[in-house]
Amino acid sequence: MNYKYRPMGKRSILRAAFFTIALFSFSCPVASDPDLLDTDVPEAIQIVTSANSRSVRPMSQEEAVQLFLGYRNRLNDGTLVTLIDLPVGPTRKHFYLRLTNKNPVQVRATWSRLVFSGRVRPPIEADSPKEALEWLASMPNAIGYLPASIQDQRLKVLLVVPND
Amino acid sequence: MNNFTLNALISMWVLLASSPSTAQASPSGNDNRETENAGPAPAVALNDASPVRFQFSGFGTLGMVYTDAKDLRFIRPSLSHSSSENPDFAPDTVIGVQGNLSLGQRASIVVQGISRKNTYNNYEPRATLAFASYAIAPFLTVRAGRMRMPFFMLSETSDINYANPWIRPPTEIYSLVPFNDLDGVDLLLSDNFGKWNVELHSYFGGSSAHIYQSGKGRLNGSGLDITATNGRLTLFAAHGEARMSMKWNDKDFQNLSSMLASPFVLNGDRILQDLSGDKGRARISSVAMQWDDTRWLLIAEYSCLRTTRYTPNAQAWEITAARRYGNFTPYLAFADFVRHRKNGTITSEKTGIPDLDAAVQAFTAPRNLGQSRATLGLRWDFYRNTALKLEYSRIRTKNNSWGSLFPTDLAKPRVENRRINTIGASVDVTF
Repeated sequence: MNYKYRPMGKRSILRAAFFTIALFSFSCPVASDPDLLDTDVPEAIQIVTSANSRSVRPMSQEEAVQLFLGYRNRLNDGTLVTLIDLPVGPTRKHFYLRLTNKNPVQVRATWSRLVFSGRVRPPIEADSPKEALEWLASMPNAIGYLPASIQDQRLKVLLVVPND
Repeated sequence: MNNFTLNALISMWVLLASSPSTAQASPSGNDNRETENAGPAPAVALNDASPVRFQFSGFGTLGMVYTDAKDLRFIRPSLSHSSSENPDFAPDTVIGVQGNLSLGQRASIVVQGISRKNTYNNYEPRATLAFASYAIAPFLTVRAGRMRMPFFMLSETSDINYANPWIRPPTEIYSLVPFNDLDGVDLLLSDNFGKWNVELHSYFGGSSAHIYQSGKGRLNGSGLDITATNGRLTLFAAHGEARMSMKWNDKDFQNLSSMLASPFVLNGDRILQDLSGDKGRARISSVAMQWDDTRWLLIAEYSCLRTTRYTPNAQAWEITAARRYGNFTPYLAFADFVRHRKNGTITSEKTGIPDLDAAVQAFTAPRNLGQSRATLGLRWDFYRNTALKLEYSRIRTKNNSWGSLFPTDLAKPRVENRRINTIGASVDVTF
């Protein structure tokens, strides 16, 4: 990284602070963010529902983003869907990063605003991928995400979120 | 690399096996495939015992604020009671819990209760949401009961500090009106256009507020908000109109009103009508934006309050720039609150009696929130769903105005035209 010395403003602490923020913002590209690199890159992630959820059709990336950011909780035909979240971990983190370009804090903040204004129900968090799989396989109109390596006849794939 | 190749192969296989799964796939070709896939029907018994019909969630902030002036304390005007402690935990500490009960596909009930130091100087819990909602159509929901008065971009979640970069939403804007509840009905019209989600929010109803000491305020009106977001950029505009009553009942006001009511005081009646009563009208307009990408969080808000009585016209703005470095988010914010009618006083009438005019002026000053502020802060997301925030603010109160500060000794208030430093620290959680 190139840290370039820039003379600081002399007039006030605030100006100095502003320059400090500006300096860091230009000299630290986001790719150097250790939080984004310290985990193994997970496999491709698939958005799935129960094979029995006949009204749930494969979806576009835009629809998936809107569902998983809480901007809609119904499909175009009016079907109310229930979102299933994996427990906190690399798959969940990278799913949201790849699909919505938001980190876990941003996702949580976005959902907090929607849930606590009474707009939408929060996703249901499973204790494990196995539990999520069971819920997704058995609950009609439940939509969730799983590592693409998980295959199950009871599931229907709606979208594969590609590896970056 | 092996993992990567394997994963790529698996994902390709999944793509091929379920060809409808990409956005580009033709929808018409998918239906048959879906029906075929649906073959062995799984047990649907879990549908009845689905893991959730009721969901519980909550939020909280433990916050303290230190004021560097011995004779002043920081307050959240119209939200919290003044305190003599320094540092003070009253302005920002809050806990809230919420239950969402779904009743089938269309109906639900939401109840939210919070506890925070209120204007009665206690922590008695109160309902901030208690409404029933019904989806008339996929894009149209009607709600009735207690909601939040949605005058500003973040008013519906102004207690959810985890969702914001700062310790608290800008007091300049969020204290413009002391009415936080909306007891009434609203309609949410929400639709998606490409990457954009657009929500029209119309509402009507009323709101009551307990104001300084033992006064009461009441607002009845209606309004319309529009919010458009594509996940990164959010645009917000709102307009509300209401009838407003404001009835002070503190000793200062009782003394003042008995003097003004005297038939020998010029304009006394008119001044009283400007100060307190139930014939006010208010119009509140707001525009706001938020930009939220992986690096930057930029927020700008502007709100304007026009009233006929009880409080002068005012406008407030704030602008925030925050930059993310992993789990650290430093931010810089500026805000300003200007009362711009009648030189910051509630009434332009004069009695001609210097002492009485001074008393009227002294009465209006605590009700004027005019101040400008610069804030430098740091948010640290040090644990799951938990954020630590540190904030330094420099507040300058304006002429004839107390801003968000309150004197420890009401007998000798000296708040106007002061420069005050505050330091805040808080931990926010959601669960």
